[in-house]
Amino acid sequence: MMPAADLPSDFWAGWILIVTAVSVAGLAWLIYSVYFGAAAQEPEGDETVWDGNLREGSHPAPMWWFWTMFASLAFSVLYLILYPGLGSYAGALRWSQGGELEDRMAAYEAEFDSIRGLIAVAPLEALRADASLMASAERVFGRECAVCHGEDGAGQAQLFPNLVDAAWQWGGAPADIERSIRDGRQAVMVGWQAVLGEAGVARLTALTAAMHGTGQPIDSTHAGHAEYMQYCVACHGPDGSGNPLLGAPSLVDAATLYGADLAAIEHTIAVGRGGEMPAFDGRLDDMHVRLLVAWLTRSDHAP
Amino acid sequence: MDGLGLHRRLEANAGLLTFGILVVSAIGGLVQVLPSVFQDSLVAPAPATRPYPALQLIGRDVYIREGCSACHSQQVRPLLAEVRRYGPYSRAGESAYDRPFLWGSKRTGPDLHRIGGRYTDVWHRAHLLDPRSVVPNSIMPGYPWLERRAADADGDIARRMRALRFLGHPYTDAEIDAAPAALAGATELDALIAYLQGLGASAGAPPR
Repeated sequence: MMPAADLPSDFWAGWILIVTAVSVAGLAWLIYSVYFGAAAQEPEGDETVWDGNLREGSHPAPMWWFWTMFASLAFSVLYLILYPGLGSYAGALRWSQGGELEDRMAAYEAEFDSIRGLIAVAPLEALRADASLMASAERVFGRECAVCHGEDGAGQAQLFPNLVDAAWQWGGAPADIERSIRDGRQAVMVGWQAVLGEAGVARLTALTAAMHGTGQPIDSTHAGHAEYMQYCVACHGPDGSGNPLLGAPSLVDAATLYGADLAAIEHTIAVGRGGEMPAFDGRLDDMHVRLLVAWLTRSDHAP
Repeated sequence: MDGLGLHRRLEANAGLLTFGILVVSAIGGLVQVLPSVFQDSLVAPAPATRPYPALQLIGRDVYIREGCSACHSQQVRPLLAEVRRYGPYSRAGESAYDRPFLWGSKRTGPDLHRIGGRYTDVWHRAHLLDPRSVVPNSIMPGYPWLERRAADADGDIARRMRALRFLGHPYTDAEIDAAPAALAGATELDALIAYLQGLGASAGAPPR
């Protein structure tokens, strides 16, 4: 049913009704009188001669034409009875575009009613073991996540993190991943240029570049170590292994988001970064979130 | 007189025939178009629809200038597949402050009427500068020059807003006075992203 606000006012409803009815009746009269009226009954041969030799005769239109027009007219009358068309008259079928969409949405949702609740609470191992569910999950990922994280989930544009390596900026446990998807994340790496000055930024850039991929604790003999212990330690930890609760990445593993070359590291330290993961709670239901968590934590995912 | 006689009279009189054609061809418009001009739900702004803030207004003009509507529509039709993909279908009242409206008629790229909030600003920046950096198989061109032009390069934001107010957009004097400051420091890229992120806000509900 259309909401009442979408109907025309009484005057315009009457206007539509009258103009439509008069048009249909007028067409019926025209078709009838052309075929069966007095003029149509006159004998043939009502000829006009132009320029002495050009003769214009009048012949009645063929009857199949009459039946075609009659059928069209009958269809329009039937249509106006069944469907909304005459002002505020809703039609015998009570059909509306919005109503049809609602019916289809309800039928679509009902298809999943039996499994939606089950999947939302199913053990992740059970979901991962079902190849068809994992194929569904991959499609959900392709539709919702790939535009940033890439079709293969390996990250893109040095802006959006790799989801198929071992590094998880906000924690790789299923509960952490679920929270990232539902509530989103906002990373806050402030810029340190004003505090550290150029020399300080250069020392910490050198330290970070030297530690990247080593897996060792932060080098305490490095020239930047004192500043590291003063400014960086709160988030990235004394050993540089990061803190998933704050979204502070490890500085000593091999993973990198914004690039591990000196220019990228220097930019990160001097200007800062603020990666944002939007919240998907309103867009994905529990079933889809559960499927994504299962897919992202499947065993062949992390190297 | 019957129909055939009427036909003969009309055919023999060019002026009468022209008038008759005008009357008949006007009937469709009289029934389908004229009443909708007076129908509140079609012409009044939707409940959550507001005139564009200054930065979004510039972004909308950039959107028009760069021809985005040649490939992107802004009308989600009330069909299951579209509502599932894009979000709530578009209502006429949501376009009350669109002059001209940008519904479009062709989708080389996806519909954008519900794009707001779907991606982050960072994603839009990367995508507008180099679409293939985030969508490898995209055929959309990049728009790197938007980053190099100031949003108030023409310096006429107040005049644009006053012109729209003349047409009925309820901008206040305070909003118009504050407009140049609202554009300070912003590029056309920022303006376009602000416009895109505002699309769909008039729907009220989050998509899906």
